[in-house]
Amino acid sequence: MSATETETDGDRTGDSEASDGANRGTNTWEDSLLAVRDLDAGYGDLQILTGVDLDVRNGEYVTIVGPNGAGKSTVMKSVFGLTNRMGGTIEYGGADITDTQPEEIIYEGLGYVPQNHNIFGSLSVQENLEMGAYILDEVPEESIEAVYDRFPILRERRDQEAGTMSGGQRQMLAMGRALMLDPDLLLLDEPSAGLAPDLVDDMFDRIDGINDDGTAVLMVEQNAKEALRRCDRGYVLVDGKNRYEDTGRALLEDDQVRQDFLGG
Amino acid sequence: MGVSDSYERGREFLIEDPIRAALVIVFVVLALDLVRQLAVGQTQFSEFGVLLKDGLMRGLFFGLAGIGLSMTYSILNFANFAHGDLITGGAFGGVAATYVIAGGFGTEAALGSLLLVGAGGSVFGAALGIGVATSPLAVLAGVVVAAVASIALALIIDRFVYKPIRDRSGITLLITSIGVAFALRYLIVFVFGPGRRGVTDPSGIPSVAVPVIDGTVNVDLHEVSLLVVAVVLMLGLHFLLQRTRLGKAMRAMADNEDLARITGIPTERVVRFTWIIGAGLAGVAGYMFVLWNETLHWFQFWSLLLPVFAAVILGGIGSVYGAIAGGLVIGFVMSLSVVWIPGGLSRAAAFLIMIAVLLVRPEGIFAGRSTA
Repeated sequence: MSATETETDGDRTGDSEASDGANRGTNTWEDSLLAVRDLDAGYGDLQILTGVDLDVRNGEYVTIVGPNGAGKSTVMKSVFGLTNRMGGTIEYGGADITDTQPEEIIYEGLGYVPQNHNIFGSLSVQENLEMGAYILDEVPEESIEAVYDRFPILRERRDQEAGTMSGGQRQMLAMGRALMLDPDLLLLDEPSAGLAPDLVDDMFDRIDGINDDGTAVLMVEQNAKEALRRCDRGYVLVDGKNRYEDTGRALLEDDQVRQDFLGG
Repeated sequence: MGVSDSYERGREFLIEDPIRAALVIVFVVLALDLVRQLAVGQTQFSEFGVLLKDGLMRGLFFGLAGIGLSMTYSILNFANFAHGDLITGGAFGGVAATYVIAGGFGTEAALGSLLLVGAGGSVFGAALGIGVATSPLAVLAGVVVAAVASIALALIIDRFVYKPIRDRSGITLLITSIGVAFALRYLIVFVFGPGRRGVTDPSGIPSVAVPVIDGTVNVDLHEVSLLVVAVVLMLGLHFLLQRTRLGKAMRAMADNEDLARITGIPTERVVRFTWIIGAGLAGVAGYMFVLWNETLHWFQFWSLLLPVFAAVILGGIGSVYGAIAGGLVIGFVMSLSVVWIPGGLSRAAAFLIMIAVLLVRPEGIFAGRSTA
C-alpha cells in the first residue's frame, strides 16, 4: 500500500478508503472537529503556508511531520490566530474561527502547548495551572486535582517556581495547563524537543494516555518515526504545502516517505 | 591552617573578582569611618538619625513611584520617560483639590487662585493652614484626586499615544514617551505657572522629638503619613499580585505575553489595570512626597525621574519588589552620602552605587524575577 500523494489526488474520500487507520467512523469529512481548508498563512508579508488542508476528528490522534522549515508549527499557530492568515478557512466544531483572536480561541475548547516558552516561569506550578483556567470565574479544584493525578510530580512541586524545573517537568506542566479546561482537541508542538532520550518514550506514553481518555490530539513532531507509529493519521508537510497524508502506519511503510523524510 | 586557608580564599577572591572585592573594601572602609566619625563626634548620632529618616522617606517615594515604572516596563516592554511628569500632573491635581477644600471653596481666596495652586503667589499653603493635622479632609481628598488625576492622564495618554504604536519596538515607545513627557510638562507649566510654591503650613504639623544618644530626631506627622501610606500600599500590591486573579494574570503577562494570550488572558484589560495601578501608586507617592517636602513645582518629578529609574534598574527592571528594594537603597545612599561628600554630589553617589551594583549583579537585585 502506498501513501496518498495529495498533490496528485484531491479526492479525499479516496484517502480514507485506501487507509486502515483506527477511529474511522465514516468515509466523509463532515465529522471533522478541526477543518483547515486551503490555508495560506505567514508572518507579516512572508507567506509560509500555501493551500494547506488538514482535518482532525473527535478523539483522533493526528501528527504533522516534515523537514525543518516546512511550516509545521505555523499550522498550529495559525489555528490559534498567531499568524497572518492570508486565505482559506479554519473551522472548529462547525464554527468558523479563521479570524478569531488568540485570546478568544480557548473559549472554543482547544488547548495549545507551544514548543518554546510554554510555561510561566516565574509563577508557581499551581499558579500555572490556575492560569490554564483563567477564563473561568472560579479556580476548578477538581481539574487541578485531575492534572496532579495525571502528572504526580507536579503535585509534589506545586509551590515551586515553574522556571526552576527540568525540561520534562516543564513539558508536563505545559500539558497540564492546556488540559485544565478539558479541551476536545489538544495541539502539541514538538512535545519531545529537548527531552533526555529516556524521557521521550514516557512523554509519548502520556500523550497516548491523554488521547485514550478521549481528547483529540494534533501533534507536530521532529521524532517522525515514533510519532507516526503512535498516531492514527499523519500529514507530511513540505515547503508549506501538503505532500502526503495517510494513516501513520501507511506513511511509515511507504518507500517514498521513508526515503525522503524518515532517513530510509 | 585556618588562617592560611582564609588567606588563600581571600587572595582568590581578590584576583578572580576584583570589582566585587573593591566594593567590599570600599564598603568596609566607609562603615569603619562612620563608626570613627560617630565615636569622635565628627558626626552626631542625631544628625545621622535625621539622615537615615530622610533616606527612608526618599526611599519610600522612589519605591512607590518606581513600581509603576517597573510594571509598565515588564508588561508593555518600554521605559516610560513620561512617568515623572505623570506624577507632577497628579500632584498638581491633588494639591489643587486640597487648596480648594482648605480654602473653603473660594471663601478664603479666589477660587481661580485655589484651582491654580496659588499661581503667581496669589495664595499660599501656609495661609490656608494645609497639613494632615490642620486640614485632614483636604489632604485626604488631595491624595485621592492625585491618584485619580495620574490614572486619568495615564489612560488618556495610553489610549491616544501608546496604544496605536503598541507593537512597535521599545525604542520607538521610549522616544515617544520622552515627547509625551515634554508635552505634559509644558502643559503643566502653561496652566499652573512656573513658580515654586510652599504648599503646607509648616507651623501646623505636629511632631515629636525622638531622643537619641546625643540629641533628638524630629519626626513629624507628614513623615509618619508617608511611611504608613507607602507601607500599606506596598502590602496591598503584594496581596494583589500574589493572591488575586488579576494580579496573577499581570505576573503571567509580564512573564510571557504570547502564552498569556493563548491562555485567554485579556491582554488589553491587563494593560489598562497596569496603568491604573502604576499611575495610581505614583500619583499618591507624588502627593505624599510634596506634602513631606512642603514644596511643589512644575519640573519636580521630572528631575526625580532619574533616581527613580536608578532605583528600578538597581532592583532589577520589571520587578515590583526590586523597585521597592532599589528605591530604599537609592534613598539611603542619597541621604547618607553627605556624611562623606558634599550634598550637591548626593545624586552622583546614587548613580555610582547603581553602577557598582550592576557591575556585580548585571540583572539587578531581584534578578530574573519579572513581577514576582
